[in-house]
Amino acid sequence: MAVEIGGIGQSVKRKEDARFIRGKGKYVDDVKLPGMLYLDIVRSPLAHARIKNIDTSKALKIPGVAAVITGKDLVPLNLHWMPTLMSDKQMVLPTDTVLYQAQEVAAVVATERYIAADGVDAIEVDYEPLPVVVDPIKALQPDSPIVREDREQKNNHIWHWETGDKAGTDQAFRDAEVTVKQDLYIPRIHVSSIETCGIVASFDKVEGKLTVWMTTQAPHAIRTVIALVAGHLGLAEHKIRVISPDIGGGFGGKVPVYPGYVLAIGASVLTGAPVKWIEDRAENIQADSFARDYHITAELAAKKDGTMQALRVKTIADHGAFDAAANPSKYPAGLFHIVTGSYPFKKSFVEVDGAYTNKPPGGIAYRCSFRVTEAAFTIERLVDVLALELKKDPAELRMQNFIPPTAFPYTSALGWEYDSGDYGRALRLAMDKIGYAELRKEQAEKRKRGELMGIGISSFTEIVGAGPSKNFDILGIKMFDSAEIRVHPTGKVMVRLGVKSQGQGHETTFAQIVAEELGIPVGDIAVEEGDTDTAPYGLGTYASRSTPVAGGATAIAARKIREKAKLIAAHLLEANPDDVEWKDYKFQVKGVPTKSKTMQEVAFAAYTNHPQGMEAGLEAVDYYDPPNLTFPFGSYICVVDIDRGTGEVKIRRFVAVDDCGTIINPMIVEGQIHGGLTMGLAPALYEQINYDEQGNIQGGTFMDYLLPTAMETPNWETAKTTTPSPHHPIGAKGVGESATVGAPAAIANAVVDALAHLGVRHIDIPITPWKVQKILKEHGVAE
Amino acid sequence: MRFAGTTDIDAPRERVWAFLTDPAQVTTCAPDVQSLEIADPHHFKVVVRAGVGPIKGTFTMNVQFLELDRPKHAAVLARGQAPGSAVEMVSNMDLSEFDENHTVMEWSSDVTVSGMIQQVGARLMQGAADKITQQVFACIKAKLEAPVTA
Repeated sequence: MAVEIGGIGQSVKRKEDARFIRGKGKYVDDVKLPGMLYLDIVRSPLAHARIKNIDTSKALKIPGVAAVITGKDLVPLNLHWMPTLMSDKQMVLPTDTVLYQAQEVAAVVATERYIAADGVDAIEVDYEPLPVVVDPIKALQPDSPIVREDREQKNNHIWHWETGDKAGTDQAFRDAEVTVKQDLYIPRIHVSSIETCGIVASFDKVEGKLTVWMTTQAPHAIRTVIALVAGHLGLAEHKIRVISPDIGGGFGGKVPVYPGYVLAIGASVLTGAPVKWIEDRAENIQADSFARDYHITAELAAKKDGTMQALRVKTIADHGAFDAAANPSKYPAGLFHIVTGSYPFKKSFVEVDGAYTNKPPGGIAYRCSFRVTEAAFTIERLVDVLALELKKDPAELRMQNFIPPTAFPYTSALGWEYDSGDYGRALRLAMDKIGYAELRKEQAEKRKRGELMGIGISSFTEIVGAGPSKNFDILGIKMFDSAEIRVHPTGKVMVRLGVKSQGQGHETTFAQIVAEELGIPVGDIAVEEGDTDTAPYGLGTYASRSTPVAGGATAIAARKIREKAKLIAAHLLEANPDDVEWKDYKFQVKGVPTKSKTMQEVAFAAYTNHPQGMEAGLEAVDYYDPPNLTFPFGSYICVVDIDRGTGEVKIRRFVAVDDCGTIINPMIVEGQIHGGLTMGLAPALYEQINYDEQGNIQGGTFMDYLLPTAMETPNWETAKTTTPSPHHPIGAKGVGESATVGAPAAIANAVVDALAHLGVRHIDIPITPWKVQKILKEHGVAE
Repeated sequence: MRFAGTTDIDAPRERVWAFLTDPAQVTTCAPDVQSLEIADPHHFKVVVRAGVGPIKGTFTMNVQFLELDRPKHAAVLARGQAPGSAVEMVSNMDLSEFDENHTVMEWSSDVTVSGMIQQVGARLMQGAADKITQQVFACIKAKLEAPVTA
């Protein structure tokens, strides 16, 4: 029965793939409207410069160029600046100064895409170069060039944020038997989704209604932002429709509002014609929000026997020229204070300082719910540093310290209440699966022969599902999410959600939740998202929040339907509702399985034969405010071999044990983990965006920025344990980001482990062959 | 990036000076000149096409003589833009007489390139710059060493 329904736990094939594998997906660039104009953007070649003059005359003479927009044109509309999601503001177009390379300087609107590009080339901008600062540590020095002259505060410090018990932690460090300290840099990387960002904005001058198709992970929030930013121009929220069609990957990069969106909307309002802006690959990788860029100093205090006692972390966060991250308002450093990880520290203190630099806005979450990758990497790297200091096996040190399963719900030293976990079980499974003891023997033998092999562990704890309204909001909007379910007379179902899939498979997994709750086959359930005119309000999909939040809303809305359906079933069965039970996906009279009604029969009755005095129809809405976050976890073990000639790191095996609570669709979860592991491999070994001293981006194209492909990606071996979330309606925790969060430390730990006998304690990621070869040469072991 | 070198020219120093400090003459040896506008003896604007590998652009260069110590020393600031790229170049030139018909030119240039050409072409830049430099000096030598026609 369960297989036919396709409910929770079934590997139902993805419904959306029918169109994706046929090339029939509908993305923003597939939207073509009559009379549509195309927008292209002039970008700054300099990282910091005064704009002395912008000469648009040649561009305006090009046949087909409809308009040129500069910052000065936006001043009377008060649109030259816009608010970011982090209580900062960001230039839409500059009026006098550019703050980073590839910043938007002017826009050209034309009848064809190529004419717009010609118009961009014809615009002459006279820049006067200004001093550049790209290093956030230098930016916080008193003699640094000031990035944001628009602020009253004449330095590059954005904010200071701290949490925990400073005095108690300092005391614990003074009293500690053993302390270790490590500087870590988590490099700036880019999400590089396959589809770049884009918009089609269409303003209907007669109706006064704006419709936008847009690559956004959060269409409802965007609608509200447009209403707030452009309300003074007559754009009211009921006259704004945001449609987020199929999206080719988001990973956090499609949460912020980019100037290109605002320019296209402005151009459509101005011209009355639809305007399309689709950025090219180089624009995407050079100007859209970046992730990570954390300079961390982490310290751990322990007893000589290895018992961990206190953790102290100091961080400088590079946010580029605008703080345009998308963290919950209360947490400018995101959920970085999950940094105590899987361990019961008694005392901890964390502080983060945000800095402006002449770089594009940074700090978006890249497939990690708000700085969790940075936190997990820090603690899992630091535990290995402690293991080296104490000459203890890193698996044994972890096992010795894990928060025990009996301690949940567990309140961490920094105040999070972990819902459930069994960290030892996950690590034991990973060790068994990879043959940990045998590998250690092999490593010892190889070391004698001079061969370099390493084993790395990462036992991470994730924090997702933002979030409870008491602590979580973005621009004041609480981070609930919503589901609306309508059961039609013939027993078919329409589900609309406030979240928005970018490839996660929502059309399948959310249908499975409803199938499980209502006993209606998954094929009879349609899931629709991303159109603000029809979907209930929600905060969107990022930070692994869809299943924890909208999944809860979906289950509860379905249960509301089942409550009403039970009354109708009792009416049809001529039984007292108290004598009717939901069993085997049907309503049955208790003890009389032959007297039963299916949900389809009830649905028909809801419109044709409902009890007198009851409202007709069968539908429900739920706005779910989660009581707590969820805490997925896992243990990953990586085995690497290092080529002493080239310094290349080769991943021989990688075992990933994940625990994301109840699994809705095992196939989709496995796919999520495979993708996430590859995105965790990327910063560990390959990806980094650098800038030279003039602020030129190094790695602004795929020629220089190495995304792992099938060539680089090893064979992932996955396994699972299941520890349901006690507070979630179906026990699910979310999995979208676990692997990206957990993988980098396992790989880095394996490489350091391979070189530990040489005295190596840490290597900053990405661990490129060049870095490894340099170490091998320094220690005289290079071939 | 800093470029520097020494070139021997078989011509009198005064003639070399006159050629190198005259925008109309010296730009005849610049690569792919599209146009030249001379504002005054110390300022001129030249449009050249230049690039690295597949990335080419039309650079509008505003050139200014910063120092002119006839016939020994000159310093030049050139600042320009191409779509998506910017370049700033400070060049110094010192002329000394080997004998009355032979001049030694010592030169150096500090070049800052930003934008697309730098991002995509950084690793090719040195080679491309060396090639352009060679062409420019070969041209200067050829023009100055040619017999003077009346």
